[in-house]
Amino acid sequence: MKNRGQLIEIFVSNLANSIVHQILEKATDEQIYIDGYGKEMRNSRQIAENYRGKINPIDMPLPVKDAEEVRQKLKSKVNAELRLRISGGYKNINLELVEELVSLALKELKVV
Amino acid sequence: MEIIGRISKGTKMDQIYLPKNRGGFASGEYVLITPLKQSGEKEKRFKPYFYGVKNLEVIKLRTIEEIFGLVNQSIEPENIIITGSFLEQGFGFNDIDILVLAERKANTERISEKIKSQIGIKPHIILMGTKSLISGLSSDPLYNLMLSKCVSLKRIIFNVKRKINYKILDLILLKSKTLIDNFEILNGKEKYYLTLNMVSVLLFIQGKKLSKEIVNKEIGRLLKVDAENIRENMINREFLREYKKVYSQTFNLIMESIKHEK
Repeated sequence: MKNRGQLIEIFVSNLANSIVHQILEKATDEQIYIDGYGKEMRNSRQIAENYRGKINPIDMPLPVKDAEEVRQKLKSKVNAELRLRISGGYKNINLELVEELVSLALKELKVV
Repeated sequence: MEIIGRISKGTKMDQIYLPKNRGGFASGEYVLITPLKQSGEKEKRFKPYFYGVKNLEVIKLRTIEEIFGLVNQSIEPENIIITGSFLEQGFGFNDIDILVLAERKANTERISEKIKSQIGIKPHIILMGTKSLISGLSSDPLYNLMLSKCVSLKRIIFNVKRKINYKILDLILLKSKTLIDNFEILNGKEKYYLTLNMVSVLLFIQGKKLSKEIVNKEIGRLLKVDAENIRENMINREFLREYKKVYSQTFNLIMESIKHEK
């Protein structure tokens, strides 16, 4: 049994992974890969959605303090992953997308 | 079921060779041999091409024949390739992966419905052009893995040079990060596929050959656990520690490849 803090941690990790994926997809010139294997697997976004369903309140936004904490953690995780790549020479990563995609995901998952 | 064979000369007895993968004629069965009615007459027979498939159940072979027929009725494909868990021994598959090579677009949903209603198994159809497949084979380990074990309507001849595209490999590897974040909630099958995915990327970037057997062997060597134990979810946190090491080794190799890119 996980406490609320742990649930939020896992929720943020998975959501961050799915946002990083979205931004890297946009940085790729050719989208040729397919999900031949593991197509029945849950992806990070689906897992994040499942965890959101375990964090109260479920059907309405989180309290302002919690929501802000989630936003900051999410932004920091996504930025860290992307900056790691940029420092290694990865090209075309648009860091400006972070704010927009984080806000959109938080809205869609009823965090704010 | 009929097979056309040619009598070949032996030392003590003459014989007719039968292919190992055949839809019937089990060993020990008695058969009646009759000559072909007209000399030179060739009957149309089902003779698919097998790649990395040692044995296939008769019923599966018949299913493949039916699928090829149904796909052929709906679209004129350059080739049809069956791959995935359907070709593994036994009947533990969830669906049939069908790769249809065709330049023309087609309604795959309609073909899927037809296959599902006539054969009773859910198909997963991927429609693509030959160029896309070649491009995928050159830069995506999953394509390589997919075609390392398959049955096709026509012979597959591709001479593909491997190309390291760090962006594609990074995206594929990123999927495997899910295991690190969710070790406790994922089931064995999911953990296995995420491990298979990660190790395939590693082998690909190291320029090694890819097949499920090779990847499973490498999983055993790198993660010190049998692939079957991962599938059964009989793994502990020691596995996770090793997994993290392999993940970061693979990620570092991908980042390293950026420097070598022109």
